[in-house]
Parts: sequence; C-alpha cells; structure tokens
Amino acid sequence: MSEALWVEKYRPKVLEEMVNQEEIVSRLKQFVKAKAVPHLLFAGPPGTGKTTAALALARELYGERWRENVLELNASDERGIQTIRLRVKDYARTMALGDVPYKLIILDEADNMTSDAQQALRRIMELYSRTARFCLIANYVSKIIEPIQSRCAIFRFQPLEKDDIIERLKFIAEKEGVSVTEDGLEAIWEVSRGDLRKAINTLQAASALGTVDSRAVYRVVGRVTPEEIREMLLLALRGEFIKARECLRDLLISYGLSGVDIIRMIHSEIMNPRTKLEIPDEARVELADIAGEINFRMVEGADEEIQLSAFLAKIALLGRKYRIG
Amino acid sequence: MSIPWVEKYRPKTLKDLIDQEEAKKKLISWLESWSRGKPTKKAVLLYGPPGSGKTAIVHAAANDFDLEVIEVNASDFRTATALERTIARTIRERSLFGKRGRLALLDEVDGLSLHQDVGAIDAIIRIVENSRIPIIMTANNPWDPRFRDLRNISLLIEMKKLNQRDVITVLKRICLKERIKVDTNVLRIIARRSRGDLRAAINDLQAIGEGRRSIRVEDLDVLIPRAAQINMFEIVRTVLTAKTPEQAKSVLALPSLDYQMLFHWINENLPYQYSESIEALAAAYDALSKADMYFGRINRTQNWSLLPYALELMTAGVAVVPGKPRFRFVKYSFPQKLKMLSRMRELRMVRDSILSIIARKCHVSRAVANTEILPYIKIIYKENPEYGRKILKWLGIDEKRFKSLS
Repeated sequence: MSEALWVEKYRPKVLEEMVNQEEIVSRLKQFVKAKAVPHLLFAGPPGTGKTTAALALARELYGERWRENVLELNASDERGIQTIRLRVKDYARTMALGDVPYKLIILDEADNMTSDAQQALRRIMELYSRTARFCLIANYVSKIIEPIQSRCAIFRFQPLEKDDIIERLKFIAEKEGVSVTEDGLEAIWEVSRGDLRKAINTLQAASALGTVDSRAVYRVVGRVTPEEIREMLLLALRGEFIKARECLRDLLISYGLSGVDIIRMIHSEIMNPRTKLEIPDEARVELADIAGEINFRMVEGADEEIQLSAFLAKIALLGRKYRIG
Repeated sequence: MSIPWVEKYRPKTLKDLIDQEEAKKKLISWLESWSRGKPTKKAVLLYGPPGSGKTAIVHAAANDFDLEVIEVNASDFRTATALERTIARTIRERSLFGKRGRLALLDEVDGLSLHQDVGAIDAIIRIVENSRIPIIMTANNPWDPRFRDLRNISLLIEMKKLNQRDVITVLKRICLKERIKVDTNVLRIIARRSRGDLRAAINDLQAIGEGRRSIRVEDLDVLIPRAAQINMFEIVRTVLTAKTPEQAKSVLALPSLDYQMLFHWINENLPYQYSESIEALAAAYDALSKADMYFGRINRTQNWSLLPYALELMTAGVAVVPGKPRFRFVKYSFPQKLKMLSRMRELRMVRDSILSIIARKCHVSRAVANTEILPYIKIIYKENPEYGRKILKWLGIDEKRFKSLS
C-alpha cells in the first residue's frame, strides 16, 4: 500500500476547482475558450496556486493530449540557459498535437535565473513564439527583467484568505478521515498564513501524530525549521562566534540547506513575534536589514559560508551593542 | 488564433510610428547617405528602453526605403566565429523578395553574455567594417564599457522613452480598430503602468481587452504593475572605473600564491585569532565577505582585472581593522571546508537523488523540495514509520537511502 502526499492528491485538476484567485481563473478560462493564450507571467507568494493554475490551464487547453503539448521546466534545476535553450528548441521544433497551434512551456521559479540567462530566455521566447507559449512562474515580478515582463500578461496571485485555507483543510481532513480540532485549524492558519501548500503539508504531518490539534501542529512546525537555526542565532548574539559557526556548518552540510534557505529561516525567526530569542525590536529590524544584504550577495553568487559567517559576526556585534545574553 | 497586437499593429511606415521625430530624421538621412553610395557611417547603434520602438522603427524605415530586413540576433550565437560566419553568409546571399536592397538588423547586442561570447564584440566590429549593406544594431543600454569600440564606429541614435500621451494615442487607435469601447481613464492607467514601454502597454491592453466589447476600470485588477529593475550597470561601472595599479602589482608579484587556498585559511582561522574582539572580527569578516563577492564576480564575468581588489581586501582589509586584539599565539587549523569535501559530496549525491524524485512528483525545484516538502516527510517517518513508509513507496524512494539522510 502506498499513500500519496496530500499536496499532490488534492491538487486541483481543472481551473474551476482552484481555491479562490477568481479573477485570474476567469481570465484564464477565456484564454482557453478562445484558444488564444499570450505569454504568461504568474507572480505571487508560495502556495497560492501558480503551478496548479499553469497545469490546470494546460489540461483544459489540450484536453487528454496535454502531456504531449506541455513542457515543464524548473529554472532552479535546469543547468543554465543553454540546457533550457536546447530543451525548448527540441520541444518547440515539432508541431503541437491537436487543435491548438502551439505548445505550452511552463518555466517554474523563473525569478531564480540570472539576468544574463533571462536575456537569453527572452530571445528564446521570441524565436519560438509561433510554436510555443511560455508560462513563467515567479515569486517576485521585480526579479524578472523588464523586456520579459513587457512580453507577458502578468497575473498576481494573492495569498489565500483564512476562510479559503480552512475550508480546504476541512475538506481534505474529511476525505482522509482525520479528526481536526478548531484550534488545530487555527494553528495551521497561524503558521501557514496564505500558503496552502504549507498548510496541507502541516495538516498531513500533524495527522501522523494523531488528532490534529494545536499541540500537534506546533510540534510539527517546531521541527520543520531545524533547532540549529535558533541555537546559532543565540550563540552569535552571546558572542560565541566559533560555536555559532559550527551550527552553521551543520546546517549547510548535514541538512543540505542552501545559504539562501538559511538566511530565510533566520529572517523568519527574527521577525516571528513568537520568537524565543530575547532581542529588542530595534535589533530585530537591524538584523533584518543585514539579512537582506547577505541574501542579496548570495543570490549574486557569493560563497555561502563566508557570507553567513560575516552575518554571524555582525549579529555578535549587535548582541554586544544591545547587551544580549 | 489571434496574433499578438504588438505585431498586428506594428507601424508599416515611419509616418505611423509615434513620436521619435529626432530618431526618424537621423535614420532617414543616414539611409539616404547609403542610397547616394556614400554612407556617413557603416552602422547605427539604436538604443533606448524596452518598448520604445527600436525594432519597429527599423522595420518601418526598411519599408519606406524598400529594403529587406535581415534579422540576426547576436545572442543566439555561442561563439564569435559562428556569428561572423552566419552574418557574412546572410549578407552575401541575394534578396529573395525583389526588394531594392537590404539592411541587416543585429538585435539586442547587449543581450550578449560576457563569458559565452568572448570576441563577439570584435566580430561585430569586423562585420561592420567590411559590410556593404547598412547595419543597425539595437541595445537597451549602449554605455557598457564593452561597447566603446562599437560606439566609435557607429552613428548613435536614441529612442526616447515614450510619454504617457503618446502611449494613450496608440492604445486609442488600437481600441478603435478592435472595436472596443474604452474609457480614457482605463488607457491612462495602462499607460502609466507601462512607464513608457509601449509594447508592455499593448500587451496589457490585449490581455484584458481581447474578445471584449468594452473595458471597465475594474477589469484592470487582474493585471499588475511591472516592477522596476535594479540597475546593476551602475554598480559594475563604479567597480570597473576604479584603478589602483600599484597594489595590483604588489599582489601579483607573488606568482606562486594560491590565493584561493589562502582565502579558505583566513576564513578558518580568523575567528580564533580575533576571538577577543567582536568589533575587529566583524570588521575583518566584512572585508573578507567583500573579497568573496569580488571573487564571485570574477568567476562570473572572467574579468580578472578585479583580482587585485579582492586580494587587497582579503589581506589588508582583514588585517587593518579597528579594535584589533593584541598579538597572541593561536593554534591554527586546516580549513574544515576542504577536509569535509568528500563527505559533503557523498551526502549531497544521496540528498540530490531523493530531492529529484520529490521535485518531479510534486512539480517543484529540488531546493523547494528540500525546505518545503522533505522536512514534513521526515517528521511523518519519524513519528509514524508505517505511514512514512507508505509515502516513501508512493514517491518511489528507497527507505535505506532515505534513512541515511538523517
């Protein structure tokens, strides 16, 4: 017997089933109806339905033959623009099957491409515009170069509303025969906010512990972010730099986290109003500022350990300034 | 199927092209100089922001002068020789369309990526110098130092960012032809959001207007403003124009120095030496992290002239800091990063193979699989192994391999 991950099992197959995002859905349906799809750019935070919308659009556009007409690429995983160029070229060279005269290329996490790669991408988009439409997916529009933005219809996916999330969770829990308490749902909303993927994953993991109540939820959440993140921050604030760096190395090596993952977790720990770190608000704001700078450098290709070490040293400095620890 | 309005309504003649009078005048007189057989310059470098009409003006002018446009995109070629060969061949071939003459359009020369197209600029210069037909190049930003020689041999023509009124005028014309009833307010909003990018504005209009008889202001809600880019160009220029040759020489005078190794060593041992002063440690790490950024930049652009700055920062920048602790003897260690290399590689391979499976199954990247999905599977497996095994089975992940992760 096997059990699916619920995020996949309950991923909507058609646009109609999508949770909220009504205006976008209605525009996409019109595209399907007219069989006229422009290049698309779906932007918005994680877990709001961007990939789901792209896949559902593909299904409705091509019907049963959707798999043959859709190429799904993830910019973060493809090795450079040359690979993307080759795959798109091979793919777009053949005619689309069925009554839609072009194929659909879904490029997820497009905002992770360097601007050089995006320059090349815009050419690819133009070269194959007769035989292929692109659907780019990104968290931030601002990380997509203007010439590409200019070629796309841009749709913003809003974080989902509390009611939407809770209704969906209840639906899944009922189908799965899982018992959920009101405070459990409330807690999942609290930790996931508008991110439905996180909400569903949390629900499934918490259900493995038994009844999904707030205790189970917080137990899951406490362990999604490694304990080492908090420990590292605490050590750095106390000026114990060398020990903090050991934690850092553990996170990089044993957990296989990227520098950007780590800085993001640090940032959400610092900005979490329930944080167990005892730091004054001014220090939290200052830390967030430095975290942003370090994140920027790593995105630009700098060495993760060095940049994060520099960050830890700055935290130590702040720790002394505010006499923490 | 509908065609993009940007193409459908591309101006057929210069008269139809909105604004850009200065550019039109310059372009016309340059093309006339070719007709007379005495070109003022072999090439034009047409520059301006996205959607200002660079490609449009070339096609419109070509039409007016009865020229066939041969379009070559420099960024499609990976090597300079391939580029040169292709252009040389297309320029030699005869016109198929019985036009009077031909014009080569080298689109987006600033789309060349540096390390892949080493020599591409030189190749373009050679092509321009030997060309017997007019060549027009387009670029968003021609002020990149790489383009200096190209600028010298070209006539520079600027396409101005369009103002809101012009954008509205064009949008109105399109709405009229598409028979869409639309409020000027709607067009004003689209125009404002496009910030002078006419192509963006037309695309927006098509996205909301196609197949409709009228557009209301509320219909605009699905579209969002295009965000501004951070101009990396300024930053790079600041870096490239700074020069300290003496220091460069003094560092390069040590030819056997393995500075990458030195860098790891400094990183490893700096905290031990500076542990008494947080202030010094932070300042030194600031310098080291900056040196690292230079190394990253060198790696990406192969611009080795940046090396002296990086070396200076990682040595002098780390050594000369405020509040530096007094000398004391500290035992140094071999960089852990280098020691751990093989174990890291092994771990990474196992992790990557598992993440690839999750990524494919769940339509995410490996990185997202690692932070957004794998932790939950781990929790489930730990708390409820039976349930966890079922999920691993669904994913098709070997349990033993999975266990070796934690």
